Amino acid sequence: MRGVYFGLGLAVVLAAVPLAGQQERFRKTPPAPEALQLELGLPPLLAPAILSNGLKVSVAYREGTGFMGIELLIYAGESASPDGAPGLATFVASMLSRGTQLRSAAELEETVESLGGTFFVNVSQDYIRISLQVLEENLDRALEFLSQILLQPQFLDRDIADLRRMISYDLQDKELSPEFAAKRQLYSLLFKGQPYERLAFSRDLLRAWTVRDVQDFFDRFYRPNNAHLILTGNVNLSQATRKISHVLNTWAPGDIAAAPLKPVRPLDKERIALVDFPQSRDACYLYVGTAFPRPSTPDRAALTVLNQVLGGSLGSRLLMNLRESKEYANYAFSELEIFRAGGLLFVRARVLPDKVVLALQEIQREIRSLAGTNPALAGEIEPAKTYLLGNFPIGLERFDQLTARMADILGLGAGEELWNGYYGQVEIVDADRVLKVAQGYLLKPFAVVIAGDRASLADRLSALDAYDVYDAKGQFVASYAKDKKGAVHETGGMRPEFQRRPGQE
Amino acid sequence: MPFFRSRIPAVALVLTAGLFAPASALAQRGGAFPLTSYRLKNGLNVILSEDISLPIVSVAVAYGAGSVVEPAGKTGMASMMENLMFSGSANVPPRQHFNYINRVGGTFNAMVSEDRTVFYETVPSNRLSLLLWLESDRMRSLEIGAKALEDARSALLEDLQDRRATDPFFESSRKFDQLLYSDFAQSHSLLGTEEDVRGLTIEDLRAFYAANYGPNNAVLCITGSFDKLRARELVSQYFETLPRGRDAVLAVEPLALARKQVVQSFVEPTATAPAFYLGFRLPAPRSVDFYTLTLLDYILFRGRTSKIARRLLNPDAKIAYRLSGGIERRRDRAVYKIFVIANNDVMIQYCQTALFSELARLKSSPLSEDDLSRYKAMFKQDYLARLSTTVDRALYLDDYFLTLGGFQEFGLDLEKYMSVSAADVIGIVARYLTPENSIILDVRTK
Repeated sequence: MRGVYFGLGLAVVLAAVPLAGQQERFRKTPPAPEALQLELGLPPLLAPAILSNGLKVSVAYREGTGFMGIELLIYAGESASPDGAPGLATFVASMLSRGTQLRSAAELEETVESLGGTFFVNVSQDYIRISLQVLEENLDRALEFLSQILLQPQFLDRDIADLRRMISYDLQDKELSPEFAAKRQLYSLLFKGQPYERLAFSRDLLRAWTVRDVQDFFDRFYRPNNAHLILTGNVNLSQATRKISHVLNTWAPGDIAAAPLKPVRPLDKERIALVDFPQSRDACYLYVGTAFPRPSTPDRAALTVLNQVLGGSLGSRLLMNLRESKEYANYAFSELEIFRAGGLLFVRARVLPDKVVLALQEIQREIRSLAGTNPALAGEIEPAKTYLLGNFPIGLERFDQLTARMADILGLGAGEELWNGYYGQVEIVDADRVLKVAQGYLLKPFAVVIAGDRASLADRLSALDAYDVYDAKGQFVASYAKDKKGAVHETGGMRPEFQRRPGQE
Repeated sequence: MPFFRSRIPAVALVLTAGLFAPASALAQRGGAFPLTSYRLKNGLNVILSEDISLPIVSVAVAYGAGSVVEPAGKTGMASMMENLMFSGSANVPPRQHFNYINRVGGTFNAMVSEDRTVFYETVPSNRLSLLLWLESDRMRSLEIGAKALEDARSALLEDLQDRRATDPFFESSRKFDQLLYSDFAQSHSLLGTEEDVRGLTIEDLRAFYAANYGPNNAVLCITGSFDKLRARELVSQYFETLPRGRDAVLAVEPLALARKQVVQSFVEPTATAPAFYLGFRLPAPRSVDFYTLTLLDYILFRGRTSKIARRLLNPDAKIAYRLSGGIERRRDRAVYKIFVIANNDVMIQYCQTALFSELARLKSSPLSEDDLSRYKAMFKQDYLARLSTTVDRALYLDDYFLTLGGFQEFGLDLEKYMSVSAADVIGIVARYLTPENSIILDVRTK
């Protein structure tokens, strides 16, 4: 018996302590995941309180960060800029930090520092976000700061001239980037004649804004009944309402009189543009996109998964094909953007100039195959969902990320379905849903923008039926088309469908 | 006065907090978040800090393995090891670390400095075991092959080349470090020299790994949404059986303050404008003076109203066009560094005079309450921002532990920063930011 006990004891010791050179079995393979917590636990997006002047107030309770977030949404994004005057919404928003009737720009800056805060404005297609993040003990002072900006703005000629110069320099810098110019051109092609085209404004369209222009836009749109104020932090709705009411009760409502945006119209035929970047000889940039009316929430979730399979990660089809297999591209990704009245899905790739047409054909083939010949399989969809579900809360961690996401959801007029309901929306996406949205959204005509050196690309582009050439500033240069014999000729002016001033409906 | 009156009780407390001991008494000293720390038998320090706000978890593993542990002739090893830690281990194929994390939606990164190398990741909370598996595998069985070595060498040589191409003051910054720090370990460049990097062998790197990447030279911090007991089980499973490495290098003595100003000149072949470095030696980072010294950073450099920035970067005066500065810590040593690029040769002397006159003014006229509270607000904003995500918090806790050796005063430090007075500022400037304790390197164009 002693021998048996000894043997058992030895076996236990041997099992517990790996011999030199051996390793424990659990080290050989990655551990299986434990159960995923399906409750995101985000502060709920409760119905807003509405002040007597029409201002909507929402709160998202979050304690322990030491910060308070103040997000004011004004429903006057770049799509609200007047016809023929793209850029005005951005311009007016940028003027907000240039001083008030009582405080200079320098004093405003100093005040933000003393709040332990940050202040910025962000202009998107549909709305403007005025964001303040301050130490939580300074909430009252921060709300007073906000009220000064809204109730006592000051637009002076010298500040306007100064800002115009700054925006122009900024655009000039950005126009050095082929990617910036390509994306702007893509917007211009996809949304030609529609309000969302206005975000693609160029330097030559920065008009000589006057105090009157700025003041008129501000007076019309910066109204409480056209705004939504969101407080994030250690505060509840009744406290928030009381504090906000105290500083903004004299903010007068106005007649906004803005017609609702019409749904985005997809292109009726393919458009191809070359943006000439003579200095970009070693690489060219391809942007290929399609626009569509705003998708329903389930379609949006399925499009998000589809985008992930197509080009949303390092293991996606585009990168595997264009970089790893064919070696045409340094990178190839796809992105999905959703607005109030529409959205777009586009591919961006940095490709070798001599492979530009082949790369374009491969991108188009990959996109269309998802709608028919090679639909997304469960083996691609499930990893895509795993990535999206895992990554979503990581993108909400920082206080500013949380408030920005919340503001974007409210700015789109959406709600819990894109917030705490996000997991559920993604969870139910399957191969059938992905195929359905691929067929519904990806079979429309695409816009193609190639940013690169026109001279060195000319031979390669002779394979295309027709394309227009623009310079880096977005100015039209020439149109080219094949004749019946297949020879490419400059066709003179811009094709008729493009003979329209930007911003025109 | 040091942060800790005595370190002995702290060490004893940590040593007795074994794996299955109750949550350490070091936890929860008034901080904004819970904290537990303990040490495994193989010397690995473990920090756990739960936060259930979101279903995610972060892991940061910091090794006391920066360039300060590189011997002469072998510089660049710390930077190369940062890269080689992704080259695969016994059970993780080369360059797959990233794929494992990316597939679950996670993020990762690494950083190397003069006194540490840190690897950190964030994943959904149900994948904590994946991170511990990955980190323990490379702590236990990193495989450094010839190809990985050559890739890491090429990457570092490219970094060096890029740095030379983009930083016209690259050589003078190295020269200044040699003046400021008194020994080779502290003063040589983090990136090493081309000559050393080219000469490194696979044996050099394997020896560096063996000496510095053991559990007893590491701090493992887990933050975010996890069950504490389960986390301890997993840490035990993946790390407990890892063998102890060589004992870490002992702490070095803090720098002695200089007694006489040192001024030297250096011709920088690539500089297009005259410049100068100004440095002051400081006490060790454990010193209580660091509360005020840290705030001094804000007074001198941060924000539009900061004293030196306002004086030197005044667009109307056209004195200087670049100014940077702040405290630099390298393990137990610390210095205050200022770098100024002047608009022309005439302005160099003017800049130095202006700088010392601003410092003199800080000594003679106390800051107003408004100014001081504005700088404190800016500091507090940055302080809280450093704790705003699980990974930021993990990095902060690793840094805190490596700097101070424990958490005895954890949770009390913000209050100490906030209680710095105008008189403290005067005292600190008078003690450390003096002409006698200054070291200046004038950089001339060719």
